[in-house]
Amino acid sequence: MGYRQLVLSQSIVFMAGSMIFPFYVLLLRNVGDSYSQFGWAYGLFALASAVSYPLIGKWADRFGDKKLLLFYSLAMAALLLFFPLVTAVWQVYVLQIMMGILGAVQKNTEKAALARSTDKKHAGSDMGRYHFWTSVAAAASIIITGYLVDFLTIAAIFYIASLLYAASGIIIWRKHL
Amino acid sequence: MRAILFVLCYSTLFAASLYVYTQFYSRPAAEDAGRLLPARVKEIKQADGEETLKEIVSETGRTGSRLTIAGMQHSQGGQTYYPGAVMIDMKPFNKVLDFQPEKKLITVQAGATWDDIQQYINPAGLAVKVMQSQNIFTIGGSLSVNVHGRDIRHESLIDTVQSFRLLKPDGTIIQVSRTENADLFPYVIGGYGLFGIILDVTLSLTEDELYEKETRELDYGEYSRYFQEEVKENPAVKMHLARISVAPSSFLREMYATDYVKAGDQRLLEDYQALKTERIVALPKFFLGLSRHSGRGKDAFWNIQKKYMLEGSGSYESRNNAMRSETDFMTYESSTKTEVLQEYFVPVDEFASYIDDLRFVLQQEKEFNLLNITVRYVEKSDEAFLSYAKEDMFALVLLINQGKSEKEVEKAGLVIRKMIDVTLNHRGSYYLPYYSFPSKKQLETAYPRIDEFFRKKKQFDPNERFTNYFYEEYK
Repeated sequence: MGYRQLVLSQSIVFMAGSMIFPFYVLLLRNVGDSYSQFGWAYGLFALASAVSYPLIGKWADRFGDKKLLLFYSLAMAALLLFFPLVTAVWQVYVLQIMMGILGAVQKNTEKAALARSTDKKHAGSDMGRYHFWTSVAAAASIIITGYLVDFLTIAAIFYIASLLYAASGIIIWRKHL
Repeated sequence: MRAILFVLCYSTLFAASLYVYTQFYSRPAAEDAGRLLPARVKEIKQADGEETLKEIVSETGRTGSRLTIAGMQHSQGGQTYYPGAVMIDMKPFNKVLDFQPEKKLITVQAGATWDDIQQYINPAGLAVKVMQSQNIFTIGGSLSVNVHGRDIRHESLIDTVQSFRLLKPDGTIIQVSRTENADLFPYVIGGYGLFGIILDVTLSLTEDELYEKETRELDYGEYSRYFQEEVKENPAVKMHLARISVAPSSFLREMYATDYVKAGDQRLLEDYQALKTERIVALPKFFLGLSRHSGRGKDAFWNIQKKYMLEGSGSYESRNNAMRSETDFMTYESSTKTEVLQEYFVPVDEFASYIDDLRFVLQQEKEFNLLNITVRYVEKSDEAFLSYAKEDMFALVLLINQGKSEKEVEKAGLVIRKMIDVTLNHRGSYYLPYYSFPSKKQLETAYPRIDEFFRKKKQFDPNERFTNYFYEEYK
């Protein structure tokens, strides 16, 4: 997978991720509202990530970064379609566990892909550029979403984010860029 | 090929999710202050003008939608909403339409709050005759439950209403007063929004006055005599409020009572006339919090409250300020518990024996978390069809902390039905804007004309355009 393809696809992934992240709390608030439930929701997320990292690391070497990142994007696109339908806390917990596992896939593979697509000499500046573009995308989407929420519902945000994940998947799918 | 397959699957999933969401989940959720009846309503419509309201009502003729009317939603038994029905939010409909200080009359739209009225009439030296002790409620909501308050010289809210306009279920508007469409007057006031939408109301006002607060401690056994001889018979006393202890060490025995006595020198009113705003509430909130958790907390809260009130004895307050008590310290947030109200009316001469019986019941209910009881007085007022003051009554408002789970609601219901039985045995009645704990039989005993009320409702609104949880539960 080429460096530009990686930057572009992951920028879109970050856009979608930061779009839902701040507003995801509102969903939790609607479903359950004690601090212990917040704790559990995020704790399960982190725990699911933690236990899946070693396995994902091995998969990245076996199947290749591209396949895993593609899997991540498409799975997230599908998963987000369930968010607007959540009505109970246990459903939030299930989604959090799946998000945790997928999050680990993305984090681990993104780093592996970066390491593989840059040469050691320019690794620092390549990483810098990668983080620059993905962070710019994230910041822009947080700000824009703040305005969007005024006009749309929280559910619409999840649908838009799902489409963005699907778009990032399609970019990874294409052989060359 | 696989890409096409994914696009197909994804599109299908997307469409399915969107379909399910719009069909079942996009309906707005509604809930009232009792937080025991969350429901999905069809739609929440803002009452942003008379034309809008007329349209909403006439639309139901075509769509078959049912309507509910909501103000501040402090009724706790779903009186303001119903699953699948359109909920009309009256809060934006809040203009003062006419004010005639010389005649002491004000006409306001139903979504206005008591605070809106107070802000408007205070500069003219006028005050409301009857309202709740707090000023956060809308006029339309207060009329629909026919409130009473601390004032002991004017009966219930209905007695201060000159006239109102009603948007009927058929979409037409009529004027209702004691002379025009007079048969509807006692049904709509205290009618829980079942006869149509109250658009605007003309209320009679009174002078703002300066009161001296006199607080004293007394035993529950002396209270009836004290009230009849020293409060009722003393024309200088205009308002009255008492509290009876729910703390374990003085449970339903100790009381303190505050009388608002017209001050000798009314020229001082000027110094006290400015409307007070909510003070810092951290301290009472903290003690109320303690009292939720233990008997010791309740003892501490009772002692501090009593001391504070006794120390405040002799201080002055304007009528308008006495009618805008703090409420913020009572806000309570918990995902598993809620705080509900009950209000029982009992004839003045029955008070002591009633309290004895109530104590007997409650002492066996160790888990029942009763946080506060205030006592007010309401004069006999049988003008409203569903009148609760069948004779001169004391009104006891109980604040109860309870769980929201089905089991907890059932447990609270058992105790509450026992308390209502005790109340009914003492020729009492209970207030209707709360959760549907009471049985149908208890309702019929407290309100012997309830069936006639429901018959009138069906006759006036044959398609049952206007509804709510209370109506559906008991009709």
